[in-house]
Amino acid sequence: MQSQPAVQPNFDIYFLSEQAVTVAFGPEISEARLQQITAFDRLISQNPFPGFRCSVPAYHTISVFYDPLKVSKSDFPGVDSFAKVSWYLQKLKLEPENIVVKEASTITIPVCYGNGFGPDLEELAKSHQLSMEAIIHLHSAAVYKVYMIGFVPGFAYLGGMNEVLDTPRKAVPRQKIPAGSVGIAGKQTGIYPMETPGGWQIIGRTPLQLFAADRPQPALLKAGDNVVFKPVSVNEFKLISY
Amino acid sequence: MQISIIKPGLLSTIQDLGRYEYLAQAVPVSGAMDTLAARIANKAVGNEDDKAVIELTYADVKLKADTDILIAYSGDGAILKVENQIIPTDRPVFIPAKTVLNFVHNPTGSRTYLSVSGGWDVPLVLGSRSTFLTAGFGGFWGRQIRQGDILNSSDQLNLDSATILERLKSKTINYPNWSIARPLFLSADKKTIRIVPAQEFTWFDGRSIVNFLSEPYTLSAQSNRMGYRLDGFKINRVIKTELLSTAITPGTIQVTGNGSLILLMADCQTTGGYPRIAQVAAVDLPLCAQLKPGDKIYFKEISRHEAEMLYLDRERQLQKLPVAIKSKIYNTF
Repeated sequence: MQSQPAVQPNFDIYFLSEQAVTVAFGPEISEARLQQITAFDRLISQNPFPGFRCSVPAYHTISVFYDPLKVSKSDFPGVDSFAKVSWYLQKLKLEPENIVVKEASTITIPVCYGNGFGPDLEELAKSHQLSMEAIIHLHSAAVYKVYMIGFVPGFAYLGGMNEVLDTPRKAVPRQKIPAGSVGIAGKQTGIYPMETPGGWQIIGRTPLQLFAADRPQPALLKAGDNVVFKPVSVNEFKLISY
Repeated sequence: MQISIIKPGLLSTIQDLGRYEYLAQAVPVSGAMDTLAARIANKAVGNEDDKAVIELTYADVKLKADTDILIAYSGDGAILKVENQIIPTDRPVFIPAKTVLNFVHNPTGSRTYLSVSGGWDVPLVLGSRSTFLTAGFGGFWGRQIRQGDILNSSDQLNLDSATILERLKSKTINYPNWSIARPLFLSADKKTIRIVPAQEFTWFDGRSIVNFLSEPYTLSAQSNRMGYRLDGFKINRVIKTELLSTAITPGTIQVTGNGSLILLMADCQTTGGYPRIAQVAAVDLPLCAQLKPGDKIYFKEISRHEAEMLYLDRERQLQKLPVAIKSKIYNTF
């Protein structure tokens, strides 16, 4: 834990709906931007305004959802909820108070590569003229950053994959990809939280549940987390599954 | 109160007003597509707005009241018939045990909401009773309602609901002569959908914007609770910058890579990377919820301030309804 002054860069605020505005920082994917987003997101949730519902962080934006009936009754300056919430968020940006920046948690995800769990591993290794072991090593040696959660419940957009592993999506998507499948699509790697159709190159599978509606925090990962993949054997995979 | 499902229809699910707390974990809002009809069905039986209702898609639904029940229905997807008697919408209806309810074709729209006094009893999942089919949670065991399913209402009736039940209870079907005037809460022109220009509105060429705001768009058959594909003039981009994925919400109109429009609905993803041309005014989303494949709509631009004023105005009108209903049930009935 360390304490940092809440210095926020400039941002724009735009209308998303009658019940939400989006705070937009400069459009880039970077760790610096991620830190700003995570810090401001925390600042908002620690200082909610009347009518605040939730916030949704993304690569360079935070969308703030609210109840316009409650916001319109607040004494914030502004002709409507959009103006009132915008005023509040701009003011929050200038708050001199210190915010506590939590160090990012690192989550280790056991993955059984290949072995029937990663039907595309062999083909992918061939296309890069590398051994399957080399692919597994490259994929599990990196520390990944969760940039945002989107697409389906609990799906993490991860950054930090070794460029060597950059592989185009499959020409024909699969109808069913099992939950927990670990895949590569272009410069991205990710884990399917639930069975869905998809075009990613599947190289392995984790026995962990990325999303479970009956957990207090249903999604295993959140924006800002570090992720490490740890290769496990089929037996270890089965042990963790049960 | 209990019903059993004889025929579930095309897609019947339990919904309420949606799930907002977990958007940051990519859990969609879900909930009733036509929140106005769902709320009116609830208000009609004296329920709070957020009680669980059954969303029916089109007609061909058959249910049996296993016990006496107090229900209401609202929406444009079906008409409720008992034998040859048409049961009117938007009001409380007492149904004696053993009655078979038939939802028959209504050419006007696509979705109908069935409320019960106390609300349909399904567990809260992540703060809502709405069904999210893709991930298989919420509602009735996370799935659509099937033949043979038995649904119960919650025993917790509030005073208004209990009073309505007491007043209407009889040996035969019974309902009052008043109803909630749902059309008064909706724009008279059901084919014109008001929109607010979205963040990437200026990314498209002038001709495309003119077409978007003057030509008809047709709801395609590739439409579901996640979103509608709209067929019509293609929208061309001038600014071709790649958009980084960011939050989207029901009512957002995205433009896909080939220039087609997608109108996002209740079960839409929480984030997306297609440029957004417009956001449908919240007060007109119930009109969109009732569209059927082949229906033509036009878009009309309003300001974000107007959209919010329309929303607040309608909410204030809706807030007055329980008072009006109370005066009906406690005085004249």
